[in-house]
Amino acid sequence: MKKILVADDEMSIRLLYSEELKEEGYEVYQATNGREALEIVDKIPLDLVILDIKMPEMDGIEALRQIKEKRPDLPVLLSTAYGEYRQDFATWASDEYLVKSSDLEDLKSTVKRYLKD
Amino acid sequence: MASERLAFLAQMVELLTSTVSFGERLNNMVHLLARHLKVDISLYFALDKSKETLSLQISSQGPVPPHLRLDFPVGQGVVGEAADSRKIKVLHRHQPGVSAANAPLEKLHPAYHTLAAFPVADDNFLYGVLLVMDRGDRSFPGADRQAVQLAALMLAGTLRQALVQEEAKKRIAELSVLFEVGKALSSTVELDDLLERIVTTTAKVINAKGAALQIIDQGTGETRVSSQYGQIPATIPCPKILAAAPGPGPLAEPPYLQGQELNSEGRTHFYLVVPLTFKGKLQGSLCVFDKIGPTEEYQAFDPENRQLLYTMAGLIVSSLENALTYQQVETLAERNERMVQNLTALQEIAQAMLTTVQEDRLLEIILQGLTLKHGLGFDRALVLMVDEAAQTLLGAKGARSLNNTGKATLTQALLLPLGSEIPMVDWQIPLGPDQGPPALAALQMRPYHVHQSQKEPGVSYPWQEKFAAPEFFVVPLIVKDRATGVIVVDNQASGRPLAEEPLHALQMLATQAALVLENAHLYSTIEANNRELMLIRERMLESDRLTALSSLASGMAHEIRNPLVSIGGFARRISKLVEKNSPLRGYVEVIQEEVARLEKLLKEILDFTGENLSYFGDHDLDHLIDDTLLLVQRDLAANNIQVAKELAPLPRIHCDDRQIKQVFYNLFQNARQAMIHGGTLTIRTYSQEREDGVYAAAAISDTGGGIPLEVLHNIFNPFFSTKDYGTGLGLSIAQRIVSRHYGQIEVKNELGKGVTFIVSLPIAKYCLVKDTGQGTALASTFKAPTGGWR
Repeated sequence: MKKILVADDEMSIRLLYSEELKEEGYEVYQATNGREALEIVDKIPLDLVILDIKMPEMDGIEALRQIKEKRPDLPVLLSTAYGEYRQDFATWASDEYLVKSSDLEDLKSTVKRYLKD
Repeated sequence: MASERLAFLAQMVELLTSTVSFGERLNNMVHLLARHLKVDISLYFALDKSKETLSLQISSQGPVPPHLRLDFPVGQGVVGEAADSRKIKVLHRHQPGVSAANAPLEKLHPAYHTLAAFPVADDNFLYGVLLVMDRGDRSFPGADRQAVQLAALMLAGTLRQALVQEEAKKRIAELSVLFEVGKALSSTVELDDLLERIVTTTAKVINAKGAALQIIDQGTGETRVSSQYGQIPATIPCPKILAAAPGPGPLAEPPYLQGQELNSEGRTHFYLVVPLTFKGKLQGSLCVFDKIGPTEEYQAFDPENRQLLYTMAGLIVSSLENALTYQQVETLAERNERMVQNLTALQEIAQAMLTTVQEDRLLEIILQGLTLKHGLGFDRALVLMVDEAAQTLLGAKGARSLNNTGKATLTQALLLPLGSEIPMVDWQIPLGPDQGPPALAALQMRPYHVHQSQKEPGVSYPWQEKFAAPEFFVVPLIVKDRATGVIVVDNQASGRPLAEEPLHALQMLATQAALVLENAHLYSTIEANNRELMLIRERMLESDRLTALSSLASGMAHEIRNPLVSIGGFARRISKLVEKNSPLRGYVEVIQEEVARLEKLLKEILDFTGENLSYFGDHDLDHLIDDTLLLVQRDLAANNIQVAKELAPLPRIHCDDRQIKQVFYNLFQNARQAMIHGGTLTIRTYSQEREDGVYAAAAISDTGGGIPLEVLHNIFNPFFSTKDYGTGLGLSIAQRIVSRHYGQIEVKNELGKGVTFIVSLPIAKYCLVKDTGQGTALASTFKAPTGGWR
């Protein structure tokens, strides 16, 4: 079973993403900020990370940088409420930049694309 | 009979020594002679001054009426013969030739028979002749003749005495005249007054009816009457003729002109002219007219008169010489005084010009200075300024002199508004060599003094319709070898000629006026630029505020997006669990639809980039940097930050200038915040050649110690901010703008020293297809540089 980490400071978002992804047959871990996310990355052999950008203690951008340092192979998706920074994401070296939406089909299909094998 | 003769002689002695006037004595004597000799008529003929003619002066028959006056030349008639021989002549009518030679005497005594002439003479001179006429045949015995001869001798003595007396009287009169004139000469009377006195005195002494002093104008050669007395004829003999006429007398005597003319009434007028010569040149003449004799008859002038005239002429010449010297000194003094006046005026105008930097006010002060009576005093003055772009002289301001300037001093009057302004708005003179003196003065940078008489015939200029003057002066306003305008002055209203001194002063004023006007012009340009900069700064700050506001709004919108995602997401989950025909399904669908609507709205608001509102054009990067520097230079100075610029000339870049300025503005502000305690901001521009084209690059370096390594990677993160190093938003905005322009921002961090941000933007000609005229003009052929999105 593929392991996915969802890092978001909003409990409701974490719950929603977890429920939906579990239904798709993934094992879902949760973190409330970048620092917790890094701890989980260290402990669990994850297959994919979904990061919110704006989080307390450590934001998604910093977490993204450190994750990519530890595990350059691990796909990291940025899922954010900030659509207008899509252009800048290349600088931040994430694999995907997704704008949050109540319709999770886009998210789920992207995840599926990265974890298809 | 002897006693009779003795009585006669005694009576004669008594008569001649009496105190009655000389004329009276002569008269009495002639009567006595007639009585003693018992003759019909006794006469006295006087020898005139020329000693050529004997004129009837006294008759025993009473006063001689004009028609009975007789003259005998010496040697003619019995009277002339007696005078010539100085011997007694007794003739009788029947003797041969007597009647013919003495025919004029028949007027006095038609029936005369005997004539006896007794010369009145002493050892030296003949004074006249006594003549007796009688109808009888008389021979006069020797004793009678002796007695008469004795009486004639006594008469001669008396006459001599009288002559000497008269001479002495004349001399005294002359001396007193000379004394009076001398007094006048040494007194301080004006030259004209003095000349008048000399002329008047001359006329009075000679007893002439009129006298005139004529002076030759050495400039024009024309003669004018300088002073005159009494009546002078309309035509006075010209002194020039006098100079040419040879002196009739011996060499010792200076030349003179003497003559007589008949006027229309047949009356003879006499005149006498002597020259006024000084400094070896004929300078004029002194003339007298019509000497009045004792019987109110006009007489010819005698050598004595001439002598007096020479003396007077000499006086006039010396006083003229004195006066000329004095006048020259006075003219010099007056000129100096005028110079001092003009210089004082100039100084006051210069002072007044320092009171303002407004061009319009300066023009008013300059025009006041030119037209005020106690300024330079021109009737009219105009200022025209050069329009370099149009190569035209444009009317700036003009003014007319006012007679009434009130009691204000020059200093006060200079600052008053113009009393009589000349409208100059429609003045336009092209700067061409064929456009007349104002254009020429500006082109050749030299003053023009124009007289109507010098004007070439047939040439007229359009501006002359507005400005017609027989004489005017144009002086250029010159600053740094460049004519910035001209001043035109004239005195047309009063008709005075343009004097040398005010024109000289005007040229001095023009130098100063040119400088202050140029300064005022520069000042107003700087002021306008400052105003524009303030406006730009305000607009920048405004856009800064808008940016802040929009970031606040977007922050709030983002906060809404998260809960919406949850609500919508869970609603979807619920709808999956709800029975298909359950009423709940409808409710959940409503929630889903409403959330979708809100999300769509948010997307429209938040993902809107604003690119369509940008204004693209070709701009010079260096200019954009300079413009932006102006906005922050006050802030930089406040933080004691020096600016070092090394700007290389670069090809233009295609960009939205406001947005690029915003980039540099943010970079400069970041640098400033990094150097709170001072430092150096270095800005260097250069061109960069890369595989995909040429870029214009700007390197902005600060000396703020650099960015700590742990935050360096985060500086473009819009959510990253540190108190120590500016706001993350500024850099992220800068980066977004630069990437929208297909450029890049690089960071070079030197810990402990400072940071360099390098902004590189593609140069227009390599990347641009010609603008279509609207909105964004980046062509589809444009290839994004590396570093863009995947």
